[in-house]
Amino acid sequence: MPDLTLESIARKVRARERLSFDDGVSLFRNPDLLAVGQLANEVRERMHGDRTYFNRNMRIEVTNVCVASCLFCSFAKLEADSPGAVTMTLEQAWNELVVRMDDKGGPPAEIHIVNGLHPGLPFSYYEELLKGFKRIKPDVHMKCFTAVEIHFFAQHYGMTHEQVLVRLRDAGLDSLPGGGAEIFHPEVRTRISHDKATAEEYLEVHRVAHRLGMATNATMLYGHIETFEHRVDHMLRLRALQDESATSLARLQAFIPLAFHPDGNGMKNLPAPTGIDDLRTLAVSRLMMDNVPHIKAYWVSMTPKIAQVGLRFGADDLDGTIVHETIYSAAGSTSPSGLGYDQLVRLIREAGRTPIERDTLYNVVREHAKEALPEAAFKVRDRKAEKHLVVL
Amino acid sequence: MSATIRSTTLVDRALAAAGLTPIAEARARGDLAAVRDLAKVLETADLLAVGALADRIRQDEAGDSVRIFVNVAPDTGPDVVAVSLVDASHAGFAILRRVAIARITGPRSARVRVDWSESSLEVAQVALGFGASELVGPIANRRGLPIAEDSTRKVKGQGMVAVSSLKKKEIEGLLAVAGRRAVFVTSSLAASPSPATETSSHA
Repeated sequence: MPDLTLESIARKVRARERLSFDDGVSLFRNPDLLAVGQLANEVRERMHGDRTYFNRNMRIEVTNVCVASCLFCSFAKLEADSPGAVTMTLEQAWNELVVRMDDKGGPPAEIHIVNGLHPGLPFSYYEELLKGFKRIKPDVHMKCFTAVEIHFFAQHYGMTHEQVLVRLRDAGLDSLPGGGAEIFHPEVRTRISHDKATAEEYLEVHRVAHRLGMATNATMLYGHIETFEHRVDHMLRLRALQDESATSLARLQAFIPLAFHPDGNGMKNLPAPTGIDDLRTLAVSRLMMDNVPHIKAYWVSMTPKIAQVGLRFGADDLDGTIVHETIYSAAGSTSPSGLGYDQLVRLIREAGRTPIERDTLYNVVREHAKEALPEAAFKVRDRKAEKHLVVL
Repeated sequence: MSATIRSTTLVDRALAAAGLTPIAEARARGDLAAVRDLAKVLETADLLAVGALADRIRQDEAGDSVRIFVNVAPDTGPDVVAVSLVDASHAGFAILRRVAIARITGPRSARVRVDWSESSLEVAQVALGFGASELVGPIANRRGLPIAEDSTRKVKGQGMVAVSSLKKKEIEGLLAVAGRRAVFVTSSLAASPSPATETSSHA
């Protein structure tokens, strides 16, 4: 029996018509995951063919001290003297790059920094942090500080968003990561993260960054207390932002759905989203966000296996090698904390895609041949021995 | 009646585009020899098209029930196709393709089985949409020890509850998301000639 709603959405997609709020909710509710995936894959291949992007990056969290009390967070410590609270000295942070400078295959091309909202650090700490990394590797791309952090800086240090961004740009900031978006709708946001930037403030930071010529990404934390309607609302707000930024110097580059992980946080009684939910969310994201160039299957949040399958459900980017991710691992993610360059290439090739090493701004660094590998040639090593068990 | 309403036009178009129409037709008329002759195409055809064909066959031949063997040795038989993943790539793409091929080339109404200790639970759930109809695996504590039936945990509003039943509820939740119905098998079919104890749970 044909599903007339999906057929009607398919006609719109093929005619390159924009999908509505109701279309988005209908796609989330459609039980035929593979048909929704097929449709998303059509769009993905129309936009990117087989090309699948990744980069050589590293993650650093210089402090987990944070004044916000988000229910979903297992990373932040509220006070600087709380057990487990960490704030790196500038030298410790810089050393994270120094030790990677001799990596086989080359040092990281991008440093991705996301932190807690630390009330006790001077603004100069962040400026010096950026300057120091640029001294060590002048061409490294600094993708640092979420819009939530930028908003916190503005409030805490008495500046406008633009003043914060300009000062950080002068110190070496190149672009903004997408974290902190969570779910925009106030029905959810006021319950899970009531004491940090609102949706409007998050979007305003991105708007200003785009005007200043700074590319940004955006995320969505799904799989907790939100509904499908909240997810679609979130996507449409970002789609509208992207429309607004059409005349700016820069825009959103990628949308990154992030799967909620329940360990060690205020929503630990909730189950984590399932593989089906991960794939469906990628697919709906691709279909709804027609003006955002890239959809990222962030392997840290959804495991490398599901992220790889996601390359057939609308995603065209696997993020990067990362190394030393601590936010998701604190929340119980069983994904490894880093993947080797060759492992990423193989994951992409096994999905029948062409691996493209990119820089942060999606310029091509290296295009790999699309070649089939024997299935048995690749094995993802799991960080935790109990990964495959259903555990308490 | 399947819980999943297939979008037949989309799927038929995908099967045709992937070159799978001949194998789909051979399977529909029960010509397994022809299916196996044509099976080479399944190794390289679009994964979602292969999965859609496998899922269509699963719906027609095996229905929506999923037998789940938790902490018990599952039975064997000519209709069981246990998808071996130990020696294969641990990437999700290869696992799902292997499951789908097992369904498409396997005997009619085959019991296509995935072990979540090999595939991961996330991929095992997705595999239910690629032709799988049985799941096996352990429920364990963090040290990997099986949880005894009498091991309990206090749950707000419910008092002391068997941990294994909590974990079963989680698995039922996974199946509900997949639009499937869980049937837990709680004793070893292999060890006992008597019918297994099955607990049905409607998702």
